[in-house]
Amino acid sequence: MRIFLFVVLALIPPAFIGLMIRDGHRAPAQAAVPAGKPSSGAEADKTLLALFQGDLGGAKVKDKVALYDEKGLFDYIDGAAPIFIQRHYRKLAAADMASADGSDMDCAVYDMTEPANAQSIFDAEKSATAKPVADFPDAISGPMSFVFHAGRYYVKMTAFDAKAEAALPGLAKALKGKMK
Amino acid sequence: MTTDGRPNPYECGPVQGNHTAPPPDYSGMDRRGALRVGVTTAMAVGSVALGFALRDRGSHKNTRALPTIKDHRADKPAGATDMAIVRGSDPATNVRKAIEALGGMGRFVRHGERVVVKPNIGWNRLPEQAANTNPDVVAEVVRLVVAAGAGKVWMTDASVNTPEQCFARSGIEKAAKAAGATVVRPDASAFREVNVSGKLLRTGDVLFPFIEADRVINIPIVKQHGLSLASMALKNWYGVLGGQRVKLHQNIHLSIIDLAAMVKPTLTILDATRILLANGPTGGSLADVKQLDTVAAGTDEVALDAFGATLLGLNPNDVGFIVEGMKAGLGTPQWHNLKTVELGG
Repeated sequence: MRIFLFVVLALIPPAFIGLMIRDGHRAPAQAAVPAGKPSSGAEADKTLLALFQGDLGGAKVKDKVALYDEKGLFDYIDGAAPIFIQRHYRKLAAADMASADGSDMDCAVYDMTEPANAQSIFDAEKSATAKPVADFPDAISGPMSFVFHAGRYYVKMTAFDAKAEAALPGLAKALKGKMK
Repeated sequence: MTTDGRPNPYECGPVQGNHTAPPPDYSGMDRRGALRVGVTTAMAVGSVALGFALRDRGSHKNTRALPTIKDHRADKPAGATDMAIVRGSDPATNVRKAIEALGGMGRFVRHGERVVVKPNIGWNRLPEQAANTNPDVVAEVVRLVVAAGAGKVWMTDASVNTPEQCFARSGIEKAAKAAGATVVRPDASAFREVNVSGKLLRTGDVLFPFIEADRVINIPIVKQHGLSLASMALKNWYGVLGGQRVKLHQNIHLSIIDLAAMVKPTLTILDATRILLANGPTGGSLADVKQLDTVAAGTDEVALDAFGATLLGLNPNDVGFIVEGMKAGLGTPQWHNLKTVELGG
C-alpha cells in the first residue's frame, strides 16, 4: 500500500506539468476536417500549382505562386476566410501576374475539395450587378474582375487597369482548359 | 484484519507472504516512509506551482513590464460638435468641411505634437476598388495636421497583402508623402510589443508610431466584411498589429473591442467616398462598389460606425462590435442623439 501511494504521488508531478504545458500552448480550435478531403495533400498541391504552368493565355506569373492553407488564408483575405473554410476549402494558390503587354493583375485559385463546394462559394460571392460571360458557363465579370468555377476550383482574377482587364478572359480560358 | 477475520483492504501492513516482516505500526508510518511521502508530496505541490508558471508563460504573459498605449483623446470644448457628415464630389473638400465643423484641426492637434494617421491600406487594390481608404482623404488629413503645427506626422498601417504593393497600388503612400507625412511601412523592425490588457488579447506587437505619438487619427473606409459584417473605424485597429491574423478571428467582435479600447484615438475620419458593398474586405470588382462622396468625422468611433453601418444597409444593432463597443463604454450607436452637423448632399 505504501509503495502504491508512493508511485501515485510520484506520478503526479510529470502528469501535472504535462497537462499545464499542454493547456498553455494549446493551438486555436481548428475547423472540422472537410468531408471528401483528398488523401494526398501533396498530390493535390502539385495539381493546383500545375495550373499556373504552361500556356496562360499570354499572361505570366510575375514572381511565384504562393500556397495558403486554412490558417494562412487569413493572411491573404483576412475576414473573408471563414466562408471558404465553412465550404471545405483546402488550399489557395495565388500569384501576381502580368498580361502580355505587362499590365498587372492577380489570380487566386481556390481548391474547394469538391465541385459542389466551388459552386457554393461562387454563388455566395456572386455580385448582384456582375454580368454572366457569353460562351463561358459558370463565370461572371464585373469591371476589373473575372470570376468562375470549374470542377473543384473557384477562380478570382482582378485587373489593375483596362489592358489587364481585357486580358482576363484569355487567362480564364487557359486556366479552365487545365481544369478538365 | 477486520473483526470477523477477513483482510482489511485499507489496512497498512506487511506485504503478503512475507511472514518475517515486522508487525505493522498502526500509529503511523515509520520515519523513512513518512520522509518519502513528505518529499513526494512536496514535489507534487511544487509541480503544481511550476505547471501554473509554465502555463502563464505560454498564454498569459506577465505584461507588467511591457509598455502600454496611452489615451490619445483630446478634451472636448464646451458646446463643440460631436460629429460632422459632409457630402460632396471632392473628397479633400469634404474632409476640410468636416474638420471645420468640428472646430478645426487645432481642437485635436497642438503645436509640436507627434501625430500618427492610420488609413486602411490592407489590400493590393486601386482606389476605385474601395478596399483601402481614399488617398485624397488621407492626404488632406495629413495637410491639415501639418498646418496645425504638428512636429511629426507618421502614416502607417499593417497591410494584409504585401505592404509594398498595398502602399503603392492604393495611391496612399505617394499622396501622404506629398502632403508631408513620414511613411512607416510595416517591416518587422517597426513593431514593438505592448500590453493590450484586453479580454482576449493580452499582448501584441504594435507599430511603433502608436506608442510614440501624442495624437492618433483613424481614417477607415466603410466596407462590407465577410466575418464581422462591416469594417469601419473600430475594425481598422486590426491594422496596428503584426503577426498571424488567424488568432484575431477566433472571436472577432471582442478582438476588435480589445484593440479599440487600447488605442483610444484623438479623431476619426470615416471615408465613404466609395464604399464596398460585397466581397469585403478584399473586393476587386467594381460591381461591388458604390460611390457615395461622403466623409464623416468625429470623436465617437461607435457613433461613426453606427452611421457607416447604415450606409451599408445594416442595422447597427446587428453588428456585434458596435454593440460590444457600446457595452465597453467606447461610445454610443445613437449618433442622431449627438451634436451632429450635416453638410452638402
